[in-house]
Amino acid sequence: MSSLDWIVLSLTLIFVVSYGIYRSRETHTMDSFLLAGKSLPWYHVTLSLMATQASAITFLSAPGQAYTDGMRFVQFYFGLPLAMVVLCITFVPKFGQLKIFTAYEFLESRFDLRTRGLTSFLFLLQRGLSTGLSIYAPSLILSAILGWDITWTNIISGGVVMLYTIAGGSRAVSHTHLQQMAIITIGMVVAGIMVVKFLPSDVSFTDALHVAGKMGKINLIDFTFDLNSRYNVWSGLIGGFFLQLSYFGTDQSQVGRFLTGSSQGQSKLGLAMNGLLKIPMQFLILLVGVLVFAFYQFTNPPLFFNKTAVDKVRKTQYAAQYEALEKKHELIQKDKHPHIMALTEALRKEDQNAIQESRVVLAGFETKVKEVRKEAEILLSEANGGDTNDVNYIFLRFVIDYLPAGMVGLLIAVILLASMGSVAAAYNSLASCTIVDIYKRMIRKDDDSKDYVAASRWATFFWGIFCIAIAQYASRLGSMIEAVNILGSLFYGVILGIFLVAFYFKNIGSRAVFYGSILGEIFVVISYIFNLTAFLWLNLIGCLLVIIFAWIIEYAWPQSASRKPSL
Amino acid sequence: MKENSPLNRDGLPPFVKTWKQMYILLTGTLFLLIALFYLFMNHFQ
Repeated sequence: MSSLDWIVLSLTLIFVVSYGIYRSRETHTMDSFLLAGKSLPWYHVTLSLMATQASAITFLSAPGQAYTDGMRFVQFYFGLPLAMVVLCITFVPKFGQLKIFTAYEFLESRFDLRTRGLTSFLFLLQRGLSTGLSIYAPSLILSAILGWDITWTNIISGGVVMLYTIAGGSRAVSHTHLQQMAIITIGMVVAGIMVVKFLPSDVSFTDALHVAGKMGKINLIDFTFDLNSRYNVWSGLIGGFFLQLSYFGTDQSQVGRFLTGSSQGQSKLGLAMNGLLKIPMQFLILLVGVLVFAFYQFTNPPLFFNKTAVDKVRKTQYAAQYEALEKKHELIQKDKHPHIMALTEALRKEDQNAIQESRVVLAGFETKVKEVRKEAEILLSEANGGDTNDVNYIFLRFVIDYLPAGMVGLLIAVILLASMGSVAAAYNSLASCTIVDIYKRMIRKDDDSKDYVAASRWATFFWGIFCIAIAQYASRLGSMIEAVNILGSLFYGVILGIFLVAFYFKNIGSRAVFYGSILGEIFVVISYIFNLTAFLWLNLIGCLLVIIFAWIIEYAWPQSASRKPSL
Repeated sequence: MKENSPLNRDGLPPFVKTWKQMYILLTGTLFLLIALFYLFMNHFQ
């Protein structure tokens, strides 16, 4: 990075962190530390929901995912608008009536303390682990650019977020989200414009899309109903609906965001606008990845995008072998180039026979490229040990290699800020659950509000350290965006099942739902371990299993104690 | 709680009059997007 990049990066980060700390001066009570005093307008809620979900993982991994796998990942979000409707109709009014701090408080009023404790524990486990992955994403960038040890990079990037989250709690988190989303949007637009600008002068934006499309990268919609296909319309609409409903309705990192709304109407409107904006935003991020793919059809791409891994292999006994593979890869690209130009020409002339011919030839070249990359991965694995995941480095490498001075710093800042947004919300929610559901409820019930704020700050510190420790193991999990979603799918369905029983099955009691959820979780984990279905369906399976098991248990073993009145 | 009670009306966007219309707008936008993505894919693929 140039000096200008360093200046832009440093100033942007200092500004946002200082602003977050500045907002912390208004934080003296539990209500303001955990829910920003329930004072925020709908657009604050919308941007905060989006900033919490769209982490650095979204910005780094999604373009790489589009580059390697096409745009089909967008279908993952199809259930989101429908989930927002259900949240507005059911969850917001219920949570609003009870004036709660965490979603799990509701479960005690409907069932008992044991069910609240179990659900809160599942959340803490899942969110603690996935936040570790969210810290790892920007660390990856810094270590790739600066050659820093990833351990220290994790500590620094996870630690900076702790500064303003400990100081300002939810208020600081929400206010910094606003700036983070503005900078992310600017970054996305700039990156998209830059990729198009770097295409050869005789290749237009639509030419690039046609080339990517003919090579199978604009695979946005798949109506095939296949339980083992990771992304199709049905898995997105049904599995995605249950995942998003559980994520936004029962994950405290999101519930804590919409509870900051100044009224139920503002919270509902914030959620509804999130439902309108999320899919187009994800489409644009994936489109950037597809444009990067098109760009590398006209420019020789590196054999492996992870420069740090390549630099490492060059210092080992495998250096000569890697160099030979690089030359082989370069020759394939050189031979491929005339066929790409022929395809572009055929597209302009709308010559269907020539287009089809080029597609077949290019598919052959793609197979050859994949074979060489596979050889390189094996070599890198032998030389560096284990990690050969390259998806997360594709967009980053493009940014570093091609964007001008100043812009690289800005985009690195964008990625770091995006990460900080989701990590900050996660720290805040982990602290909320630890204090409200465990410490205040089970350990020290009658402390002063100021003592709880102090305890919340310590809880934020503890979870920060925990998440940084998890980040050390994240590199072994492949594409990070998938790893986060798979992890969520293991727990979200069961948590959602508990909430749906609470809302809609008023005859089912606490004992049935408690044992039903434990059985449901065991089945979900078994389904995942034995690869019985694509991960998105685990949300639906987990949710249905909890409802079915709870219903059977209640029927076979009725609870004699009188139940609390339903809400 | 009634749909148009003061608590619920608070925060309604200017382009719809009831929450029901808002939910229809959300669902309609989703299916419109799926249709547009399908056309986009067919055009370029």
